Order: sequence, then C-alpha cells, then structure tokens
Amino acid sequence: MKNPFEEFKRHPSKERSKEIPLDRILRQKEETLQRILRGYENLLKNEAKDLVWLMQYSTVIKAYSIAEEAIRDIEYTAEDIEEFCYALDRTDQIPYLITGPAGVYISALCNYAKESEIVLRLQDLGIKINLLGYRLPEGKRLIVEGNLGDFTGISLEGGELIVEGSTKNYTGAGMKRGRIIVRNNAGFNTGHGMTGGEILVGGRIKGLGKIVGGKIYEKDQLIFPSEDYRPFYF
Amino acid sequence: MDREELLKKIWPKVRKKHLYPQLPMPEFVEGEELVGLEMKSKKLQLNTAFLDLMKEKMAEEDVLEALLDHGISHYMFCPWDFETHLVLYSEAKKVLKDKRLAQKAASYFMDVVANTYCVREKETKIPELYRNLPKQGIHRLMAMLYQVIWGVELGVEGEDERVKRLARIPYLDKRLWKESVRKFAKALEELLQEEAQNEQKQNQKMPNPLGEHSLENYTLEEIDRGIRNFATSVEDIQQFREAIEDFKEELSAMGYSTGGIGRGRGNPVDADLLYYMKLAENYTLPIKKLPMQKSGALHPYSHSPWEIGKPTQDIDPWTSFGKIMPGLTQTWVRREGEVFGEAEAIPDCLVIIDSSGSMTNPREKLSYAVLGAACACNAYLKNDRRVAVYNFSDAFRGNKVLLEFSREKEAIYQAICRYFGGGTALDLNDILYLLKKAEKPDIFIITDMQITNLEKLIEFFNGIDNRVTAVHIGENIYASRFREGIKQKKNISLFMVKDKEDIPKIVLGKVREYFGLPF
Amino acid sequence: MTTGDGYQEKVRRIYRFISENFYLNRPDLEIKGERYNSALLFGILTALYGGKELIIGEPGLGKTTSAEYIGCLIYRYPLGVIWGSEVSGHPEQTEEKIVGRPDLGALNQGREVVVWSNFVQLPVKIVDEINRLPETKQSMILDGVDRGNWEYLNEMIINDEYVLFATANYQDRGTNTIIAPLVDRFDVLVESRHPGPNLAFQIGRRSKLYNPLRHPEFERKFHELLRSQVPYEEKVPRLEELCEAYGQYLKEKVGIEGLSKEERFEIRKQIASIPLDLDSNAFLRMVLAEFSFCHRYGQKRSVEQCQEGCHYTGYFCYHVKNCASNRLPISAVGYAQALAWFLEEDEVDLEHVKAVLPFVLAHRVQWKDSYISKKESEGRNDPLQIYLAKEAVEEIFHRYNEQRDYLLEALAVASEAFEGREVQLLDGDHPIYEEIKKEIAALR
Repeated sequence: MKNPFEEFKRHPSKERSKEIPLDRILRQKEETLQRILRGYENLLKNEAKDLVWLMQYSTVIKAYSIAEEAIRDIEYTAEDIEEFCYALDRTDQIPYLITGPAGVYISALCNYAKESEIVLRLQDLGIKINLLGYRLPEGKRLIVEGNLGDFTGISLEGGELIVEGSTKNYTGAGMKRGRIIVRNNAGFNTGHGMTGGEILVGGRIKGLGKIVGGKIYEKDQLIFPSEDYRPFYF
Repeated sequence: MDREELLKKIWPKVRKKHLYPQLPMPEFVEGEELVGLEMKSKKLQLNTAFLDLMKEKMAEEDVLEALLDHGISHYMFCPWDFETHLVLYSEAKKVLKDKRLAQKAASYFMDVVANTYCVREKETKIPELYRNLPKQGIHRLMAMLYQVIWGVELGVEGEDERVKRLARIPYLDKRLWKESVRKFAKALEELLQEEAQNEQKQNQKMPNPLGEHSLENYTLEEIDRGIRNFATSVEDIQQFREAIEDFKEELSAMGYSTGGIGRGRGNPVDADLLYYMKLAENYTLPIKKLPMQKSGALHPYSHSPWEIGKPTQDIDPWTSFGKIMPGLTQTWVRREGEVFGEAEAIPDCLVIIDSSGSMTNPREKLSYAVLGAACACNAYLKNDRRVAVYNFSDAFRGNKVLLEFSREKEAIYQAICRYFGGGTALDLNDILYLLKKAEKPDIFIITDMQITNLEKLIEFFNGIDNRVTAVHIGENIYASRFREGIKQKKNISLFMVKDKEDIPKIVLGKVREYFGLPF
Repeated sequence: MTTGDGYQEKVRRIYRFISENFYLNRPDLEIKGERYNSALLFGILTALYGGKELIIGEPGLGKTTSAEYIGCLIYRYPLGVIWGSEVSGHPEQTEEKIVGRPDLGALNQGREVVVWSNFVQLPVKIVDEINRLPETKQSMILDGVDRGNWEYLNEMIINDEYVLFATANYQDRGTNTIIAPLVDRFDVLVESRHPGPNLAFQIGRRSKLYNPLRHPEFERKFHELLRSQVPYEEKVPRLEELCEAYGQYLKEKVGIEGLSKEERFEIRKQIASIPLDLDSNAFLRMVLAEFSFCHRYGQKRSVEQCQEGCHYTGYFCYHVKNCASNRLPISAVGYAQALAWFLEEDEVDLEHVKAVLPFVLAHRVQWKDSYISKKESEGRNDPLQIYLAKEAVEEIFHRYNEQRDYLLEALAVASEAFEGREVQLLDGDHPIYEEIKKEIAALR
C-alpha cells in the first residue's frame, strides 16, 4: 500500500525553526521550576501526610531543614522563586497547596538565593502565602509586592523584609533581629515572642502579641515599648 | 531600480516567506521621518522619508523587507485580530490602571512578539533594522531585550535589571499572552510613566518607528467582530465596559456606534448596550425567511416510466410519442404545490422584563434576563418583525418603561437594559395598551416571578390567546405557583434559567417550536 | 509550468477577450498580484480541467452568458450551437429532451433508433437553472457527466471529454433545492455578480445585432452533423474538423485562437502533472481533518450532534453538520493545479490552494445554525456560502501558520512510522494529529 505520508519524507524531521536564546532561557526556566516543584512535592510527602500540616515550632523547623536539603543543588534566581509562587496558584501545575510548608519552602529559597536583594511581585497571586521571610538572614533584603498571610517574617535573623501590601496575624513573631516594613496593615499578635529588631507598619495594627524585645511602629509612631505596651517575660 | 519596482520585486518574496497573507500590495506615503511603517485597514504604508533616512545606514531593499516582515507578522501572528488587541490592552490596564500607559504597553508587547516571531521563524532583516534605529528611553530597553533574546548585537551597551525579567517572558506562546503582557507591563511601568510625562512636557508623542497600534489598523468589520468575540471572552461586563469606554472616541470617529457600523459619527457608543448586543449575537435564533406552505392543489411535476399495472389516466401522450408500451410510455407524477406563506406567520413581540431589586443589575453584572430578552429581540428583528418593551419594577410608582412597537434596535436595547431596582409590580393596563398596538403579538416575559400581583398576572395570561414564552430566573415558590396557574394553557411555555447557557438553549428551542418552521 | 507551447498565453487571451467584450465584470480575486473575476476565472479553469461548475446569482447577471462564451472559445463551438445544446431547468423537462428520443419514423416501423440530443453529444454542457429541474433529472445529468456515459433505449454514447456549467438562481418561488448528494458533485460554486452601474451601462449600450461568435453557416453545418444518423464515434472527429474550421474563423475575425481537442488533452496532462508543495499538501490535510473529524463518533455525520464540552469546539468540526466528501480533495487539488498551470507556476503552493478552496468548499458544507447566525450579519462582498467558506479557510490557515513546522514534522514522523520504524508519533491539539495516529494504527 502506498505510503500516504510519502511526500513528507523529504521534510527532515529534525529541521525546525531556528533556536534563539529566548528558547534556551525559557527551557532553563522550566527546568528550574520543575526542580523546585519536585523539591516542594518532596517536602509535602515528608511533612504533610494526608495533606495535613500542623503549624508548630517543631514542624516549621523540620520543614525548613527538608527544604534546605531539597534546594541545595538547584541553581535558581529570584525570578524563579516568583515563578514558583505563581505556580502554586495554578492547580494544573500543583494539584494541592498547603500554605504553611509552601511558605517555609519559599523562605528557604529566598534565604539561599544568590542575590542579596530579592523582589517578589505577587500582586496578582490569588493566595496569601504564610511564613514568608522565615529566618531571613542578615545581609538579605526581601521585597514583596502584594499581600501576605500569617507568620510573615517569623524568626527573622537580621534580614530586611519589606511588604508592599498587608500582612495577617503573627507578623514578625519570634524575630531576633532585622527589620520588617509593612506598608499597609498588619493583623493580630504582631511581634508575638519577638526579642529584637524592628517592625514598622504604615497602616493599622490590629493587635500586638506578647513581645519580649525590639521595637514596633504604627504609622511612624512607636507603640512598643510604650506606656501601653511593656515587654513580656515568658 | 526605483522604489516601486523594488517593492514589486520584494513583495512577492516576502509574501511567500509568510505563506501568502491576504494583504493588498503596500504603498508608499510621505510622512514623519521617524515612522517607517503604518497599517491602515490592512494596508501597509511605507514612509518614504524614513526610507530616505535609513538609506545611509542600510540597503533600501533590506529596510523594506524588514518593515514588511514586521507589518505582516502583526497581521499573521500578533495581534492577528482586534479581539486579541483588546484583550492585551485590557490585561495591561489591569496592571497599569491608566489608558495611555496600557495602550503603550500593549503596543510594545505586540512589537516584541511580532519581531521575535519573525526572527525565530523566518529569515529577516529586522535585527539589522533595529541596529540602525535610534535607541532612547523604552526603545533602548527594547533593544537590550532583543540583544538578549535574539542573541544579536544591536549596539546597546550596559545592563538593566528589567531586561532579566523581560527576557523570561514566553512571547511566542499565545496561550500565555494574557499573563505575559501583565508581566511585561509591570516590568515597564516606570519607564512608561517617564515616557508619558516627557510626552506631556514636550506636548509631543514619541513615535514608534515601526508604527502605532490603534483602531486604524483594522477595518470596521474586523472591529465589529473583535468586539463581539471580546464580549464573549471577558470575565464580566465591567471589564468590557472599561475597554470599550477607553476606545469610545476612536470608535465614534470611525463611524462605529452601538447600533453597529455604518451609522456615521454622532452616535456615541454605549458600552453596556454593546455588551449585550454582541453577546446576544452569539446565540441568535435563526428563523427561515421564506416559509412555504402547501397549497393543497396537485399539479404535474415530473415524469416517471409507465409500467404495466399502473393507472393510465396520467400518461403523457406527447412524451410517450403516442405509444403505450413499457420502456417508452411516460406518466406524470403530481405534487402538491408550495406557495409563500403569509409574512404575518411570525408576529411581533412584546417583551416584558422585570428590573426589580431582586433581579441582577445588568450594568453591574451579566444579567441572564437581559441576555435572554436580547436574544429573543434579535430573533424577531431579524425577521423584520417589531418589538415592544415593557420594563417594570414598581410600575404603579412610575418605575417602568414602555416602548411601543419598533424596529429600532438601539432603542429596544436601551429599554431592556434599564434597571430600576425597586419593588415588583406590573400594571396590566400597560400590557393591554401595548398588546393593542399590534396584531396578536407574541409575549416574552422574563422575571424571577417574585411579583406582588402575580395572581393577577396568571389570571391575565389565562385569559389571552397570544403565544407566551415565560422565563423565570432560578426556582422558587412563586415560579411553582405560576407553573401551576398556567399549566392548562397550551399557548404558554415556561422555562427556568440558572446559568448563561440555559437561556439561549431553552428560549431558542421553544421559539423554534412555536414558530414551527424548520431551518 | 512554462512549457514553451504558449497554451497559457492563449488561455489568458481568451480570458481577456471575454472579459473585455462579452462578460464585463469587476475583478474580485487577487492571486500572485494579479486581479481576476472569480466567475470568469473559475469558468475557464472548469473548461480546462473538465469539471463541473455551479454558478449562482441574481437573474440576468450573466451566469449563463459566461458559460456560453467560455464554452464557445475554449471548445471552438459557434455560439448558436452552444445555445442549441443547452438544457433549461423547468419541472417539465424530460429525459427525451435532455438525453435523446426515439426516431419516430423508425419507431413506427418497429425499430429502435435513438436521436441523441445536442446536449449529450457536445462536450460543453450547460444547464440553465438546474435547481428548477426535478431531482430525478438533476441526478440523471450529474450521473451522466460524472461518468461520461449516456444511455437511452439500450444505446449508449461515451463522451471522451466534457464540462458542465449549471446555473441556479437564489431560492425563490418555483425553485427546488439541489439536494446535498447532488450539490456535492459540483466541483466549484461561484457567483456571477453585478458588474457595477458603469459597466452595466456599457452592457446596455452594446448592439444586440452583431456578435462575432455567431456564424450561421458554421452553425448550420454543426446542426446538420449533430442531427445526422452517423454513429457518434464517427461524428466526433468530424465535429472536431468543423471546430478547427470555426477556430480559424475566430482567429481571423477576432484574433482569438481557441483550443483544439489535442491541445485540451495536453493541457489536462500538464495540469495533472503539477506537483503540490509541502505546505499546500499539509494545509489541505489540515482542512480535510477539520471538516471530517469527530472525536466522539469517529467521523462527522449529519445525523449525529456534537456533545457539549467537547475539547474540539474551537475547530470547524464543531461548526458543521456534515462530513467532507472525497470529492472535496479531488476538486481542490484539481483546481489548484489548474490555477497553478494558468499562472505558469511549477508547483502548487499555498496561495493557489487558498484561492481555490473557498469555491470548492462553499456548496459542500452544511453549517450549523449557531455559526451562521454569528456570521450572517457581518459585512461582506460575497454571498453567505462563499463568505463562510472564505472565513473558514482563513481561520484554518491561521492555525496552519502557527503550527506549520510542527505539523510538517508530525507528517514526516508518520511517514517513517508507516514504513515500520519505531518512532513516537507527535501529539497536538488539532484533529489532524489524532487522525494521523488513527491512520498509522489502522495501517500497522
């Protein structure tokens, strides 16, 4: 029987339109994203059995160390971290999202990024990431455009975290040193357990937590330590 | 070789390269030195002053080819049609919040896509053209971007953080254009603002050497089609309204009005009305224009061979050559004649639409009621019938609109889209008044049935012979009551609508039935 | 394909002659930078290819005229002979008027002798207002033209070449429709349009008294020969001799050389030998895929409805009711080759195929109501059927342009797979990729 595709034999199957650097950039971007995603899935497999993750001091620490391990050999940039944040929003890429481990994972990515200043443009993100800025080290500056969730900047270790938006509850909880700037509002229990550093909130703070040390400003006014708010001793 | 001849030589080659696009032969025009190419209603216009300027730096043939490549790529790839243009603009505006900036961002985005497409897919002189073009402001940034993503040297030095972000955008992936243009716009925001401020200061627009992207690039038919497709693709009426309002002046200047094209200037575009008009066009019921009826009379139609045993009274002696024998004799086959039916077989229609507080405000969200009514109106108007509208909320307090029978589409849509948001009571005298104005018109009523005087309405419908199509939005006890009340009446059909896709299906199907005409 | 024999130039001269003198028209089609009138161009291509053309249009706009002049000049039959061989469509047409009748004298003597009509004897067959004929007669004509055989009373004649031009008015009182199986047999559908007021005025000014294509003497000789009892096989070469003589007259009188039978056969050979380039080949396959594919039911069928939520709603399989017949690619390829030949091209490229496809597709597609209602109010220059076909071709072309390389690669891989190599067939969104897989699976 005659080959119905015979005429196309003379079209070399390897001959496609030429590759330009854009193709390579996008391919690399995709490969990096896939590696980062695999690391995240690995974290979930280990830490979020049955898709349940309890927000506890010990689980956060464990999740962070798994995340560190997962990202150790990946070459990525700040833009790759942003891509990953958007991938979290798309269920065709990640079928399930648990914001706790996700936030820890992203924090690890930020902390180990090559750049000293990272800008994440997350205004269009549908979800609010929790635990972003966890253990941000000294010398690192993380600028987030958009709103974040709970536990933003917890256990900050000297870095500078700027949120061009609002945060929810427990912002700066347990931070040791460094600076958190929130342009809009912050939620309840802000600064809970913080021992040092500064939190500057441009808008309203719904409520402070039990704060040990450091400073908190609301609309340029120092509200901790102050007459109304004294240090708490655990 | 003079320019015209050069163009005649190059044009077939470029067309072949781009697989023969349906574009007319380009022409030379005299224009601004700094703009090489314009596209007006699919016609590519090449600026002779620009060519003169570039002659010193590049072979004219190469300049021409590069300009044509760019122009054709816009036609063949990005934006391809007006709908894509609107979508890109709309997405850029979500980020930039300013019409001018969004237009610029969308325009630059389309340029990057078209150029990159050309560079990747075809043999082109576009990189060489960009090497020789002036590079200030955004054009400098674009040149830096091209250097990175095309891998060519364009004579721009230095680094810019923004280029890193811009270089990661998948320009050639059409499915991701919405997201890509947002990222693109965000990265360029500062520069765009700077450019806009400079333009304001100098009171002069910064020209794009490879042409601006505006409505003038498209024909009126393309614009009309683009708007219709855009209405279907947007998430909500607000997005549609915003985009159309932004282009209102340009649309009016081109003679495009709410009623459609060719109405001339002076009729401003009502974005909300246009939204429903265009959306309804996607669901219009087609009704056969020339219905035939059997006349009841038999007439000779064709011949068939006569066989022994068949009756002989219909034998045609002429075609049988006077012989009665099998194989030769022909007999007439008779058929019932068909004549035109009365044009009045499709009556006029009275549309009754509820715009009380419990109904959706059509100017805020997509109103299924208005869409359904619009589809029904279109069906009648297409058959050259008239439509009257009774839009009611609390009619006894004056919250009502009565539009008498008319064929004016815009006026009808105005009446349908009117929203009162008050109580719900209709005045049957108004309905009677309108019914008297036509010969037994059909009635089409859309409501959630939460009508204060529902019983009166049921009684009224039970007392008339007009064909009634009643549509209720959602299920509730009032709808059940109505259903119960009219169930004996064969001339009343009742439908429920929960979702956009229900209205056209159910309403149209039922209309098809009661028109009783196959297509 | 410049063969140096000058046939294309001859044909183009005929085109120009008809266009300037008999069928005044406005060009409405641009191909390779040249503008043509679609009705006239496709008429000429039909005459060269030996196809079947359906010409629609408002009454009195030259539907029959264009066919008559083309038939006269390409086949070298005097105009009066062409007129005399036309079949007009009305419900009382009989087989005796269309095909042939018994010789009455012989019949009375008990012998069956057939007097064949001019319609079946001449290669140029024109049916005026075919949609006014009953379906049985339409079918009879189309069957005859399809096969070239005409039978009556156990006698048969075989045409070795033939071309059919059928005209149809738009639907009005007294017309039947041409049913789908019959309309599918036409190769192309064209519209004969109004030439515009200025050209129409010129037509009005022309003298009806003189027509250089008429020649009473020749016409008499033709009629004599046609109605003679000479066997058809012997008549044909004698007819050709008369055609040759008439052709000489035309050359002297109006400077136009018609085509001899040998020349027409040679042209057909040349046309058939023109290859298709890869793009036109692949594009045609893509078009056929969209008009025949159904993911759910295996193929399009007019009795089966599309399901909601089908993945392929963006393709034309969703907008049409029926399946493309196998006559579609035959017509498309044939006319594209004819067009390429006419333009003296060495191979058929995308532009030829894109030019020809709408006219080949227009009458064959049954569009869904939803698609028609969306498009019918758009501004256009063509009747709705042709407009919808043009839009469809343009849209599919856009898709082809986007995935050209990938599709060509997919077809190349399929070729390897067919030959038994272990290769991974390429996936894609378009129906063509699924069809390729089906074909390979079926052939393995």
